Amino acid sequence: MRLKTLIGFVLPSVVAMILLIALPLVGVIGLSLWNSYTKTEMVRVEQSTPTGKIIRTQPRPVLDETGKPVKVWEFYGLKNFLSVLDVDGMERAFAADRSTNPVTGAPQSWPERMGGVWGDIANLSFWGALSFTLIYTAITTPLVLIFGFLIALGVHAVVKPLKGPLIFASLLPFVITPVVGALSIKWLFLDNAVITVMLQSLGFGKIYFLQNAFTTGFLVILYGLWHVVPFAFIVLYAGLQTVPQDAVEAAVVDGASRWQSVRYVIMPHLAPLFSFVTLIHIMDAYRVFEPILVFSAGQGASSLQYLTYYLLNGEQNFHKASAAALLTVVGILLLLIPLILRTWRTHREGA
Amino acid sequence: MARKSSRSLSGLLAVGLGVWVILAAFPFLWMAIISVRVPVDAFSVPPQLLAPFTLENYYELWVVDQFYVKFFNSAIVTLGVLCVSLSIGCLAGYALSRYEGNLGFWLLMVALVFRALPHSTLLPGYQLAFAELGIWNRYETLIIVLVAINQPFTIWMLRSFFANIPKDLDEAALVDGCTRTGAFFRVIVPVMWPGIVTTGLFSFLLAYNDFLISSQLMNADKQTMTAALSAYINADDDAYKLMQGIAGAVSVTIPLIFLVLFFQRQLVSGLVQGAVKG
Repeated sequence: MRLKTLIGFVLPSVVAMILLIALPLVGVIGLSLWNSYTKTEMVRVEQSTPTGKIIRTQPRPVLDETGKPVKVWEFYGLKNFLSVLDVDGMERAFAADRSTNPVTGAPQSWPERMGGVWGDIANLSFWGALSFTLIYTAITTPLVLIFGFLIALGVHAVVKPLKGPLIFASLLPFVITPVVGALSIKWLFLDNAVITVMLQSLGFGKIYFLQNAFTTGFLVILYGLWHVVPFAFIVLYAGLQTVPQDAVEAAVVDGASRWQSVRYVIMPHLAPLFSFVTLIHIMDAYRVFEPILVFSAGQGASSLQYLTYYLLNGEQNFHKASAAALLTVVGILLLLIPLILRTWRTHREGA
Repeated sequence: MARKSSRSLSGLLAVGLGVWVILAAFPFLWMAIISVRVPVDAFSVPPQLLAPFTLENYYELWVVDQFYVKFFNSAIVTLGVLCVSLSIGCLAGYALSRYEGNLGFWLLMVALVFRALPHSTLLPGYQLAFAELGIWNRYETLIIVLVAINQPFTIWMLRSFFANIPKDLDEAALVDGCTRTGAFFRVIVPVMWPGIVTTGLFSFLLAYNDFLISSQLMNADKQTMTAALSAYINADDDAYKLMQGIAGAVSVTIPLIFLVLFFQRQLVSGLVQGAVKG
């Protein structure tokens, strides 16, 4: 195919991506370097009250000829980034005196002091989001692979009429609207909801799942597993169909146990699929959003995507939100560039 | 000895798969069960398996709160995204599967980065631009935004489907005097439907399930069903509102259950396609 034909065919799609992905990104870069506010002036206002007239001054937006409020733009450089990264908060975390415990007054050991620094940093919104993302990824990635693989092995071994229903039940948590999925789990863990009550009657005591940072983090992770394990299962299950049967039989004839044939024949065959699932899951873990909104509104568990959303809607500061967004993009690039370079090398060798 | 271990293993297998099915389905089942109860029964202590049946919550949601408006909004947006996304995605995916130069490679890599981008990164840009242009809160705006966000994935998936269609097919047509466009429409389009259906399913899911963009770009009267659920996220203290939210969540789920029921095979093949070629 000639270059000209290629361009003709991809044009509509590329234009859509340039206009609505690339240009907004450029806009976000601009927004992150500037600050803007509505120009205001102080005006004297007379107010009649039952006790007499009060004169006071209050701010009012300055309007231009067309009646729109005048916006003032100010170059901010890296200030928005420093404020998202909360450099001041970092300095305070490191500079605080930690030789004694702030509550008991007892002297603290070095690990305790380090723990104090870590705790203070994790309380800052950006670093809290980053650290929860890392914890989330570190916990869910291996569990997703393990559970997905076990279910795949199980469904592979089961009699044929059961396979369809099992796959059907597994697909539901995967295709479900994330907000709905997260809500359906939240409604199991409300203070008077079914699981909370059952745990209480089993003697675990009353657990207020949505009231504290640790348990909301736990729920976000639980939701993540419920939502992603089916994906790992389907991919690995499809992979199992392609394992050459003679290789497995040969291993059994040679005296391999069931575990050995899984470990030394099946798992190496599925290795590319394991890394595919890992890659996709890490990319998704990086942009967890809905469960955080649903379970905790940012307390205890957060993500960079949620941070951008919060800066935009909670603080209404889209310059700071842009800075947070760009820091997120940097993370994605760091994650993908090695992969892209590797693909480029194979592409060039193949060509 | 061997038989005993294999019997206990199959017992373990049955238990394990049983537990998984319950875990996977329980949140849906319970949500559906309590959606047809009055609040007192839905969150009773201890939980009840059987309670009086009522459609009150659905009536409140669909009739009084006019949830059907959100349903139509969802239908318009989802269908719009599906049509536009597949049309322009097919052209691009086909061309990328047939072109061998470097430009195609880099287009795909840029698309990969775009696909990995969290959607919230684009929101500050949209807020500024759409308010300036005065195209805030319009179906077309949401549709075209979702199409663009959807494109990277669509292109990748369709490209791998087209790559499986033998090149000889369209090259024979070219030799016979067809133009590229003619070859595409006469030879490729008739055989590409399985790929379109599968990719379409995933485009549907992306548009239908989207919460972040839809809730940010549209006001209440034009919100999709998914975005409309935001009103119920923090309604835990208001029992009646909470019950409507539960009815809403079940309503959003029902089309998805039919989707899986009818298209299970295509969904699985789509996931696998991504894994093999991705």
